[in-house]
Amino acid sequence: MIRRYPAVLLLAATILAAPGCKKSSDAGTPATATETATAQASITEIQLGRHLSADKRVSDATTKFSPRDTIYAVALTQGSSPNATVTARWTYEDGGQVVKEDSRSIAASGTEATEFHISKPSGWPKGKYRVTLTLNGSTESKDFEVK
Amino acid sequence: MAKGDRPKADFSDVESGSSSTAPSPAGRSYTVQKGDSLSKIAKREYGDAQQWRKIYEANRDLIANPDLIYPGQVFRIPEA
Repeated sequence: MIRRYPAVLLLAATILAAPGCKKSSDAGTPATATETATAQASITEIQLGRHLSADKRVSDATTKFSPRDTIYAVALTQGSSPNATVTARWTYEDGGQVVKEDSRSIAASGTEATEFHISKPSGWPKGKYRVTLTLNGSTESKDFEVK
Repeated sequence: MAKGDRPKADFSDVESGSSSTAPSPAGRSYTVQKGDSLSKIAKREYGDAQQWRKIYEANRDLIANPDLIYPGQVFRIPEA
């Protein structure tokens, strides 16, 4: 009987060490890690450009565009929100005229990239523009120009 | 129109679109609760604890170690 104990202990240790079985409430979990994981998603960066790469980041960042360009604005977000809405508001000449406003619902988890794009077949009027991106009350803006 | 006012530009033909690396909220997600493990979540979502790796693979950007998940994390739950 005594000889069986090592085998039983080995079996128990194997079960406890199986991947994916450890509980999330382990003692010693750093409080900061938990706080980071529960952080609500917010915009960390806006990218502007003419093209996107496969990971939906801008591949050629610029704030100067031509009248026939398609203009991409990417909101890089960080944090978790199971149901968040990213809104893009494009304005012309110091916000005096709204060009377009779009929104997209996302389930943000970690780092995400959400892109909005606009084009105008007849050509953009030359002048100064601004795109304002909003997520969970956090707002970021970026100015650009069509020459 | 007052003198000096510029005529408004016509943006009626503007075309737009959007996309995201994040799934739409219509996709299932799960918020980790205290006491959860990937196996426990897989059991709840799929009825099979052995499917934990499917959740792990779908959330590799959030899970550095499958034995260490934290309450409040929001995981994507892939279709079974």
